[in-house]
Amino acid sequence: MFDAALLNIVVYLPLAGMALLLAAPAGQDSFIRRLTLALMTLQFVVTAYLYARFDPAVAGLQFETRLPWIASWGVYYQIGLDGYNVLLVLMTAFLGPLVVAGAFTAIQKDVKLFYSMVFLIQFAMLGTFVAQDLFLFYVFWETMLIPMFLMIGIWGGERRIYATIKFFLYTAFGSILMLAALIYLVLSFQATTGITSFAFADLYQSRLPLDVQCLLLAAFGLSFAIKVPMVPLHTWLPDAHVEAPTAGSVILAGVLLKMGTYGFMKLGFPLFPDATLAFTPAIMFLSVVSIVYGACVALVQTDIKKIIAYSSISHLGYVMLGLISLNLYGIQGAVIQMVSHGLTAAGLFLMVGMIYERCHTRELADYGGLARILPVYSVFFAILTLASIGLPTTSGFTGEFLVLLGAFGAAWQQYEQGATLPLVLSATAVTGVVLGALYMLWFAQRFLFGTAKAPYQPFGDLDLRERTILGIIVAAVFLLGLFPNDAMKKTELAARQFQQLVSTSRTGVRVAAERAPASIAAETSTPWSANARTGSTP
Amino acid sequence: MSWGAIATLMLPENLLLAGIVLLIGVEILLRPPRGDLVLSLLAVAAAAAAALWLYTTGASAEPFPGHFSVSPATLLGKAVVLALSIPVLLISRDEFAEGPFHILLLSSLYGACLLLSSDSFLTLFIGLEIMSMPVYVLVLLAYQRPESAEAALKYLVLGGTASAALLMGVSLLYGGSGTLAISAFTKALVSTDTMARAGIVLVIVAFFVKAAVVPFHTWAPDAYEGASVPVTAYMATIIKAAVLLAAARLFAAAPMRGSIADLLALLPLVSIVWGNLAAMRQQSFRRLIAYSSIAHAGYLFYAFLGAGPTRFEAVLFYVLAYGVMNLLAFAALPPHADDAARDRLDNFRGLFHRAPLSAVLIAIAMLSLAGIPPFPGFVAKFLIFKNVIAAGYTLYAVLGLVGSYLGIYFYLRVIQLMFMSEDQPAVAHGKPGTLALGAALACLAAAVVLGVYPASMLGRF
Repeated sequence: MFDAALLNIVVYLPLAGMALLLAAPAGQDSFIRRLTLALMTLQFVVTAYLYARFDPAVAGLQFETRLPWIASWGVYYQIGLDGYNVLLVLMTAFLGPLVVAGAFTAIQKDVKLFYSMVFLIQFAMLGTFVAQDLFLFYVFWETMLIPMFLMIGIWGGERRIYATIKFFLYTAFGSILMLAALIYLVLSFQATTGITSFAFADLYQSRLPLDVQCLLLAAFGLSFAIKVPMVPLHTWLPDAHVEAPTAGSVILAGVLLKMGTYGFMKLGFPLFPDATLAFTPAIMFLSVVSIVYGACVALVQTDIKKIIAYSSISHLGYVMLGLISLNLYGIQGAVIQMVSHGLTAAGLFLMVGMIYERCHTRELADYGGLARILPVYSVFFAILTLASIGLPTTSGFTGEFLVLLGAFGAAWQQYEQGATLPLVLSATAVTGVVLGALYMLWFAQRFLFGTAKAPYQPFGDLDLRERTILGIIVAAVFLLGLFPNDAMKKTELAARQFQQLVSTSRTGVRVAAERAPASIAAETSTPWSANARTGSTP
Repeated sequence: MSWGAIATLMLPENLLLAGIVLLIGVEILLRPPRGDLVLSLLAVAAAAAAALWLYTTGASAEPFPGHFSVSPATLLGKAVVLALSIPVLLISRDEFAEGPFHILLLSSLYGACLLLSSDSFLTLFIGLEIMSMPVYVLVLLAYQRPESAEAALKYLVLGGTASAALLMGVSLLYGGSGTLAISAFTKALVSTDTMARAGIVLVIVAFFVKAAVVPFHTWAPDAYEGASVPVTAYMATIIKAAVLLAAARLFAAAPMRGSIADLLALLPLVSIVWGNLAAMRQQSFRRLIAYSSIAHAGYLFYAFLGAGPTRFEAVLFYVLAYGVMNLLAFAALPPHADDAARDRLDNFRGLFHRAPLSAVLIAIAMLSLAGIPPFPGFVAKFLIFKNVIAAGYTLYAVLGLVGSYLGIYFYLRVIQLMFMSEDQPAVAHGKPGTLALGAALACLAAAVVLGVYPASMLGRF
């Protein structure tokens, strides 16, 4: 009961913070910054406490709150933590104070409104993750758009208005179709079972004919795929990232993109298992295309932010590949990869922001040999680059390795049954790892080494605030890379539930052979970490 | 039924009538007249409170059998319409000091109340006319630009045409059924008789004109732009609400099928799409709201595709959410010495830096009108589309939702101009009056309640 109240406090603390800021007198910028940081830190501490209290042995919801909201429609205010969202909630709360601290010097215009928007988006993101009712989920999901729209549009770069409207219109289009689909889903669930419910747990029992499932998955999937984003729906992302202020980019890459993959994991695939099965080759193909295409395009970018933006597309392709493999390794790897990408991309975008504040350009060609001018900056940058590539001991390795292991595990099963496509696609995904190393290392080489040059020299190296932010991120990256067991255990039951939900047909007719490896039940939770250190690294 | 009981059941109407009489008295006796605003506010608030009180007592009776009846649903409808007009009165203070405005507004409200309780086409027509006539004058009252005359004339002619169409349709229905009761309409809906069908189409067209549904919408942008802000707010919210609630009463729970269903789906769909597309090109805030209201008329008529018992509630919730949001936008609109400059969208640039509160309030109104959660516009739209899908019109629902998507752009453009464009310090917007600000905050409070706890207005009758 107490813990359930704490979860509500975590969600509503940002909203209270926003109200406080709006009531604060104008012109108190430094007070506003400190207040925001303090509240965000408090929120993280409470979340960390809840994470520690989260019992990995309990399947289903913990710290649950369930109250009637719109009783006549069967809508409940239902929130709680489970294995699906616990890591993502922790990551969101973790990034909150870092985003705030990262914007201390960069944002000098409309400070009050800016931090109000940071609070609002934090509230909406946490709400989306903890919501266990489809209506509530949709409300939070859409609420996220508003602060991000303002954040890019007010504090963004030159083409901010184009970028922010493009962002809003892309994501809103997906949402509109999702709205139609969710209404249809709930109504048909009502028609077949007589229960009017928006609760995820109930809707997981829905039975729909295959063609309806396919249409609904297409509608939900479009919304999620735009958010991920999966090629070819990704074109809003580079613009949004390039124009967004650093804090916006960090939130976008760190958390917002995970909404798409989380949506697939929590809703899209488990709600429509038979359609998922039918679409598996297409989803797998698009995931691999995202991995390879994102990497290839990142290779030729000249804008630092765009390189990281395209690398995000590539990295989230792995998450999708892991999820669709329906192999326990793959699913858990996808979850770890989500968090890992959240940390590394957030760190890299923060670092780009730091250099931009000093030099006011994001053109890669303007830079070179920063290792000599900014040694501390370069060390942090090199670590985050390597984490992004997936060097062992960093979180990136844990995620990517598990995803590929899962993808191959699943593909091999199918190969033995005569399907070669999954194996070909998995093999192609591996080239993404090589390409990822190529573009990131080449980027780091041009950025950090070679002839020292940078506009506006001389400028100071990182100050204490910046070092602290990056130090915390790097520590988290290593923590997740070296000791992922705790995180894995807490998500394992959810991963199994996901696997079971998606691989159980709910039309009464099984459309394809069993795909999940039979040996999953025999797996222990840690065999891979011993192999991992000795395993080959791309 | 005793006269006392009749007077009690018609308390909202009677209070309005008393207000009108007192206002006329003040106008004649006091030189210069004063206290108009207080008097009309008191009358409207008392009428709203009376409607709400009657609603809580669960009053359901026919003071004039066959012509005028009350039920909890109609009383709640009246309470909503009357409550929505309070912000209109509040924002009118800075525009209209003199009496005629208040007398005309209260008369129009009296018509709206009559309309919502009408059981026969006679009362319906009288209510509709009493409601519309004063507005033709209001559009022209204290006009600030020459186009107002043209706008008022256009409105008068098209409004008259609608009345003519209604009368023609009613005569055909009367000719076929021999009764003036509005139940003749629902009976005719299921009949295949050509005369009945023609009558129905004419009546529907009359409602389409009054609610500004494409292609009968052309009067709206001109009238909205030509009228002063409180009158525009009144037309966009109360008139629309009363017309739609009356239509919901007319259609009652009649099953919708065949070509009538198509008529009630296609024209509103076109209205949604065209209203939203045309709004993108507007340079004036009031014209933008006019096209937005054309699109919203489309969503509202979509509610009639839903199953019978759901219609009135869906329409009522929608007009309340939509009305509150429109009034919020108009109440927050900062005044300007030049009426045309006041609502030129270019002058909205950087409004956030000059008038932060106004900008934030208008932004909230825009997001709600666009149907973005967590604002009440979303719940209202959700309810309508849920009913439409539940009734089996999935394709129309999807098309309507995609049409509503088209609208997002122009609402965002207003926000973009206010928050993201360079400041225009040269535009000397005044400070919003205290009463207007109070109206805006009251609307905001109502919006928060409706958005956070929609159940407060759902399942009420």
